Amino acid sequence: MRSIIIILTLFLTGILPGLSGVMAQPYLTESGYAEFESRAPLLTFKGTSDHLNGLIDLEKNMIDFYLDLNTIDTGIRLRNRHMRDSYLETGKYPYAEFTGRLTTLFDPDRSGLQDVIAEGTFQIHGVERDIRVEGTLEVTDAGLLLNAGWSVKLADYNIDRPRVVFYELADEQRVTIRAELVLNDQ
Amino acid sequence: MKTRTAGLLILSFLFVDAAMGQLERRPVVTDRPVELTFMAPRNINLYTVENLSKHELHYSIMHTFGEVNTGISTLYGLDGGANIRFSFEYGFTDRFSAGFGRSSMDKYVDITSRLHILRQKQSGKVPLSVSLVGSAGVNTSELGYITGLGKEGYRFYDRLSFAASLLIARKFNDRLSLQLAPTVVNFNRVGQEISVADPSVNTYVALGVSGRYKVASRTAVSLQYIPVIPGLVTDPENLSYNLAVGIDIETGGHVFQMFFTTSRALNDQYLIAGPNGDFFDSEFRFGFNVNRLFSLRRGRDQGVKVEVEK
Repeated sequence: MRSIIIILTLFLTGILPGLSGVMAQPYLTESGYAEFESRAPLLTFKGTSDHLNGLIDLEKNMIDFYLDLNTIDTGIRLRNRHMRDSYLETGKYPYAEFTGRLTTLFDPDRSGLQDVIAEGTFQIHGVERDIRVEGTLEVTDAGLLLNAGWSVKLADYNIDRPRVVFYELADEQRVTIRAELVLNDQ
Repeated sequence: MKTRTAGLLILSFLFVDAAMGQLERRPVVTDRPVELTFMAPRNINLYTVENLSKHELHYSIMHTFGEVNTGISTLYGLDGGANIRFSFEYGFTDRFSAGFGRSSMDKYVDITSRLHILRQKQSGKVPLSVSLVGSAGVNTSELGYITGLGKEGYRFYDRLSFAASLLIARKFNDRLSLQLAPTVVNFNRVGQEISVADPSVNTYVALGVSGRYKVASRTAVSLQYIPVIPGLVTDPENLSYNLAVGIDIETGGHVFQMFFTTSRALNDQYLIAGPNGDFFDSEFRFGFNVNRLFSLRRGRDQGVKVEVEK
């Protein structure tokens, strides 16, 4: 009985399928680029990171990205600290995450830019919302090149903005990502 | 046994979800330094362990007004001559910064540097942040009226004074931070013409206590207390404790600090050695600071490879 459970567990958790090579080969990156741009009446600034982690699995039609929000740099370190401490609260919510699937067809045998749409769940600051993201995918020598962007309303994710004295932070943040994902042929 | 099997099965199904494709979430830096022990490089008047990053410029303008017990006729002290200090401090590295400032009281111009020796880590492996602060200043007041100083008169050496502090701070949780600052202050020459509590004492030793308690995500209550420690100065009777309570407001770029304090002083030398009112006899003043940080190195905004703050 016990050994059956163990085998079942191993199988279901993907360890056995992984060992036997059944698992699909996803495209991966650990160094994608992500940015947000805030356009407020008094100030426009960007926060950027080169630590976007992502996975695109065309066979399973699975897209999964996450960003360690602690790596975002706005050009002023004190602003970074305040961003982490009182806006994104990265101590409690360290990641921004998107998990979803492509809802348009993508042909991996075609060259050139292909418009794609993905739908899925975006999570930041502990709040999950279903979003739709438009972008492009391109087959490159190394793998897949992804460009995508969408808007994030801070209020939708319970990210509080200062109300006193200055409006230096826009409610609507433009998020863009750019990543070249490489086929993982392990 | 049955429930255990069921539990295991449910557990294994939970793993399926993760194994079906999601990436494991891993932080880029596993043990980050504790940040924002205080909201700004200053807490009321005393320096804090809050460092400037490399190429970062901190501009602050600080004020104290007259004592509030002068009543409505002076608008609770606002009519009294304000002591105003402005200062610039630049981060040469993430651990070393230096700058200068000028206070209107005694027309005092000072240079100050801070060295951050230890930074508290989130894992607790480093439980404290420790910094050194050193400051030297010159009283540029017109002192030619003072007679009886002999041939040399009031020399440049006589105008100098110094302060050195060791800052030891800990952020206990998201809300509460405390800092102790043993401090030594020396005035090369003291007298009635200098705004110190006791015109016969050159050297002062004190312990600065700073605290802040966050009451909302961008608002904190702050406290500054510099008790008189008997035996550390020759005549502590003329020296009184300093007490200040305030509120810090971060507005997304600026940090405003508003407070009530028993001293006019805005820098370490005069804060430690200067006279203080009795807080509980309404002998305190309104004061406020505006802090702003600028980054003098742009270009990282353009998506250039960024080093992660270690």
